Amino acid sequence: MKKVFSVLLALCLLLVPLSGCKQAGEKYNAYYFEYFDTVSIVTGYAESKEAFDAVCAEIEAELKEYHRLYTIYNGFEGVNNLKTVNAVTDGAHSEVQVDRKVIDLLLFAKEMYRETDGLVNVAMGSVLKLWHVYRNEGIDDPAAAQLPPMEKLKDAAKHTDIDKVIIDEENGTVFLADPKMSLDVGAIAKGYAVEQIARHLEEKGITGYLLNVGGNVRAVGTFGEKPWNVGIENPDKENEDVPHIEFLHLTNEAVITSGVYQRYYYVDGEKYHHIIDPETLMPGSNFMSVSVLAEDSGVGDAFSTALFLMNYEDGLKLIEETENVEAMWVMPDGEQRYSSGFKAYTYVP
Amino acid sequence: MIGARNVKPSTDGKRKTRNDMILAAVLLLVAAASFLLWHFSRAEGESVTVKVGGTETAVYPLSEDREVEIIGGEDNEYRNVVVIRDGKVSVSEANCPDGICVKTRSASRAGESIVCLPHKLVIEVTGEKSEPGLDMTA
Repeated sequence: MKKVFSVLLALCLLLVPLSGCKQAGEKYNAYYFEYFDTVSIVTGYAESKEAFDAVCAEIEAELKEYHRLYTIYNGFEGVNNLKTVNAVTDGAHSEVQVDRKVIDLLLFAKEMYRETDGLVNVAMGSVLKLWHVYRNEGIDDPAAAQLPPMEKLKDAAKHTDIDKVIIDEENGTVFLADPKMSLDVGAIAKGYAVEQIARHLEEKGITGYLLNVGGNVRAVGTFGEKPWNVGIENPDKENEDVPHIEFLHLTNEAVITSGVYQRYYYVDGEKYHHIIDPETLMPGSNFMSVSVLAEDSGVGDAFSTALFLMNYEDGLKLIEETENVEAMWVMPDGEQRYSSGFKAYTYVP
Repeated sequence: MIGARNVKPSTDGKRKTRNDMILAAVLLLVAAASFLLWHFSRAEGESVTVKVGGTETAVYPLSEDREVEIIGGEDNEYRNVVVIRDGKVSVSEANCPDGICVKTRSASRAGESIVCLPHKLVIEVTGEKSEPGLDMTA
């Protein structure tokens, strides 16, 4: 009988790890709707709901601060943000005193402008504003939807010189040397802010969190050995059966997708999305979507826009020349193309 | 067997069969129990969690067809109709300005969600049935 018991005991011990897939922590989700005109999702593993909420409070405080500083749509009392910078354009003596975080974002923006040969240009506000206005009107009243007239777009495009964004690091001021120009940081601000928040968590030794601000996803460490499972959305939204076209395992990386399905409106039955080519002043049409995997979420955000506007060959060349970035392109016919290191992160569910 | 042990050869054969029988029975029992446990926990399947403004307001099983009207906002001015049918959840109607929630494809796998930004509404599929669950979509 002793033998039977020992065998039983061994069996029970064997069964414990089999049934106990659960780890010590629980997975929690939190949603925020107030920042960057999009949905922010925090997913994390924590010992308790209280521990998760404490980290979320910290994340939300950061999100709120970056949103208030980087928005071009809202003003806040006592805050000089990008809306303030855009509003003060009377030429001389129009330097605006801004937070260091604004200076850093604009310095980063200039760096990305150089890296992407001008495809990511935060000084394109005048052009993007026109698209923004016409798109919103078109969404509100689809029957009367119109494209922004090319004359107006070309006129606006004369005032998009990023060298006229004058940054004085020492005095902490910014001013726009062309009174008709304006800033629009939509192509980089979310990714940049997510990266800063992720680094803030890393510095504090917080791990096991996945941040998502409007599709800018960044992993801040894993919980135990298990990587995060992140799906890449199928840009063909009509396809109900295939919601995801690729699956990635992330541990400390960011992934960002730029796609035709994210912000758009219809004019005469034709779809016009929000990623505007600085050359043609029209939405880019080379791909259905481009996803970029990067170590730095800000770089990933900028590159996803740039690659979306480049042809595949030039984009591939840029990615292969740049360290710590990989990409996947979805061609108009749905074909998926990859940079050399992308597949190292994919898995088959 | 560790070390050399002197066992009685004559009775050993019989005892072994009896012990083996017990062992086999116990094994079968354990297997049946764990199957039932597994089956029971899986039968719960995925759930649909409704969150308004970040607060969980309702949970429904994904396996039961139903239609729910969700009213939110300070003056009850927000309206979304959530439909659970054939193991999928979707938003069939909404009075939000962009209508993105209605256009979003239906969700059926754990980790998938439908969001209505203007109404601060999240419809989440939760559960362990589809392995491995998704943590996020980019």
